[in-house]
Amino acid sequence: MVTIDTKVLATRTARPKGPRATRGYRVFQAVNAVVLTGVVVVTLYPFVNIVARSFSEERYLIAGSVSLVPRGFNLIAYERVVSDPMFWTNYRNTVVYTTVSTFIAIVLTTCYAYVLSKKHLKGRGFLIGIALLTLFFNGGLIPNYLLVTGLGLRNTLWAVALPNAISVFNLLVMKAFFESLPVELEEAAAVDGLGTYGILLKIVLPLSKAVIATMVLFYAVTFWNSWFSAFLYMDRLDLFPVTVYLRNLIAGATGMQSGGIVDPDAVQVAATIQSVTIVLTTLPILMVYPFIQRYFVTGVMLGAVKG
Amino acid sequence: MLNRSRHRAAVFVAGVLLVSLAACDSGGESSEADNLSAVRAGAMATYNVGDQFKATEPVKFSIMLLSNAAYPYKSDWLFWSELTKRTNVTLEPVAVPGSDYNQKRSVMVAAGDAPFIIPKTYRPSEEAYISSGAILPVSDYIDLMPHYKDKIAKAKMDAEINTMRQLDGKYYLLPGIHEKPWQDYSLAIRTDILEQLNLQTPKTWDELYTVLKAMKAAYPNSIPFSDRFSQPTPGGNLLNILGASYGANGGWGYNHATWDASANKFFYTGASDKYKGMLEYLNKLVKEGLLDPESFTQTDDQARQKLANNRSFVISSNAQTLVNEYRPDLAKTNPNAKIAKIPLPIGPMGEINPASRLESGVIISKKARDSKNFVAMMQFIDWLWYSDAGQEFSKWGVEGVTYKKDGGKNVLTDDVNVVGLNPKGTKHLQKDFGFYNGVFAYGGKPELVQGFFSAEEQENQKIMNARTPITVAPPYPLTEEEREQVTLWETPLKDYVQQQSLKFILGQRPLSEWDAYLTELKGKNMDQYMEVVQKAYDRYKREHG
Repeated sequence: MVTIDTKVLATRTARPKGPRATRGYRVFQAVNAVVLTGVVVVTLYPFVNIVARSFSEERYLIAGSVSLVPRGFNLIAYERVVSDPMFWTNYRNTVVYTTVSTFIAIVLTTCYAYVLSKKHLKGRGFLIGIALLTLFFNGGLIPNYLLVTGLGLRNTLWAVALPNAISVFNLLVMKAFFESLPVELEEAAAVDGLGTYGILLKIVLPLSKAVIATMVLFYAVTFWNSWFSAFLYMDRLDLFPVTVYLRNLIAGATGMQSGGIVDPDAVQVAATIQSVTIVLTTLPILMVYPFIQRYFVTGVMLGAVKG
Repeated sequence: MLNRSRHRAAVFVAGVLLVSLAACDSGGESSEADNLSAVRAGAMATYNVGDQFKATEPVKFSIMLLSNAAYPYKSDWLFWSELTKRTNVTLEPVAVPGSDYNQKRSVMVAAGDAPFIIPKTYRPSEEAYISSGAILPVSDYIDLMPHYKDKIAKAKMDAEINTMRQLDGKYYLLPGIHEKPWQDYSLAIRTDILEQLNLQTPKTWDELYTVLKAMKAAYPNSIPFSDRFSQPTPGGNLLNILGASYGANGGWGYNHATWDASANKFFYTGASDKYKGMLEYLNKLVKEGLLDPESFTQTDDQARQKLANNRSFVISSNAQTLVNEYRPDLAKTNPNAKIAKIPLPIGPMGEINPASRLESGVIISKKARDSKNFVAMMQFIDWLWYSDAGQEFSKWGVEGVTYKKDGGKNVLTDDVNVVGLNPKGTKHLQKDFGFYNGVFAYGGKPELVQGFFSAEEQENQKIMNARTPITVAPPYPLTEEEREQVTLWETPLKDYVQQQSLKFILGQRPLSEWDAYLTELKGKNMDQYMEVVQKAYDRYKREHG
């Protein structure tokens, strides 16, 4: 998550073309560059380190001598992880859960936000109110669990997708974006004979690619990284997303189990296995950033600045 | 993230409170063990010690199953099919990743949605579920469990069992039982350094001090003792085992009230002279550069690295970490190094074995009592967890498939491996067959518990078994209000003891300020705390003898 912030900031510090910068501004630029380079190093280091660990030999990890470059390069850990069928089952689950959940979330959030952006809507205040209420209060863990169980959603994809479908923060960003669109455009479309849905689908949405791309990114990252609701509402290992698999691998392996003595071979590769799983789990979602980034910057800014 | 999990915790606690409030008035019924005739479907009419349990009709029970990362749950394990063949019982597991087992258990129990059988529950976590009436007072039903009763009687474990009793005189957890206490945690020492310096393996903590001193003299750049197991509790293991030797456990084993068997009363652990003795000892080690001050803050990995890189020679250990971590670590960095676990060093308490004979155990959902197969279920639990046949089954598996008898001893068959006992084996007893699963296989007879121990660990345990087990503290169950009050005092007291203990050990606060420290503890309600404990102890003794 943090890496994005640096990218955003880095883009903003790009030297503007135009009149010569004042001396104060140039000092500011220099300080900025130094500080931000520091931030980049600090945020990138752990990731590069994990990648290096995943390719290293176990004994260098134990000796604590792996930092940025793999030592004793090998792919054994990758082979082990890749050959575990449960890893792929859970990986597929993550992809499915993320795709479906993000789609549902985008549709619902867009509709809700669009409606709320219309000032002439009756009961608008109330609709905003119930959304905001969930920002401050929620039913709590056990009531939620009872609700999901009562609706028969346990052990289905919907237990992950539906309860988290609308994020109020994302909703408000989108609402602000829709409000900033010129009303005249919609009026013109109405005059030309478009109905409410026509305006939304043919006029507003094509103009909102930036904010929708941003929302897709926000939601996709959240769903990709989330593990708790799946862990809570799923009772079978083959239904879990890969994040639960990863968590069990790391938290479960470090906890001491009395009675069940752990297999020595498994323990020896554990440190590298953990790194490999982390790399494989985060890689796809990292790949998404470069493609969405250009929308991302404008999208966030657009929602924030008005007037 | 932190914020969110804290938020979740708060919401969760609120939820538990709500549920327990709602269910408060359903508790407090008297024993109802006598009207079981309606729930006998599938149960055996006569079932005694030595009998093989087999339900008279096929039955199914739901069970919460901890899925270990090292051997994740599989539905096609031989364990399940063979169990059904032998007992006519089909278990329906709810598989929960081991990393968050306790949390899911709490949610499911509080939501009234838990499976019937909930194993792998450590004391005292069952206490949180009692007031809501969600779990069964198992002590009412032990007449259905002949093997369990027999084991307790033969091993004379009444004192230990009593420690689990609540205010109503009942207990809610069927504990795992070791016939002999198994003190696993101790210290590991580089024996090649001992040989090189011509030193004996230390038997007492004082001898350990001399050994460390000699190591320091020979290797001035090292800090011979650098410890692990310090997260989240600083000195988790060290303060626990050393404290046991002094008669006042710290670290993992810290209890506010410790039982003094000779004086027949409780004392406050962190304020006792025994505890002070332990701090003095550690302070001496730190002052002379023998014990790494980072021992109490560093991660396990950091401590392992120091050991692997010859920067330290002594570290806390159990049988597994020795074989699975230290030896492979050292083999990779220093092929000549040798390291071994030593029997727990002896302190002022003499030759004691501080391990408890109780293990994590099984709790049972209250709603199981309404199932028509309830009696069959209790008989089944009794057979699987407490009969010799059941324990052997869940550990070794099926004769001829996973193990064979060799002169009265069990050995794995040729192609089955576990804990590296049979490195050529292609199949794994835990991963491929589902036996020796921590959920089912623990405790039992010493031969069984030690079945997979290496020869050296068996040697260690022989020494430990010869020592006197510690006296078990009597129960002092608290009332709801008392517990609430005591909980408010406990956290500040414990934090303060922990924090000041480290200061004393590291020399940041001189031990001459001990009396001031005692006064500070009094300011944190230490005396009131002990009063409540004493009152609860007296009350229990009066009412339940």
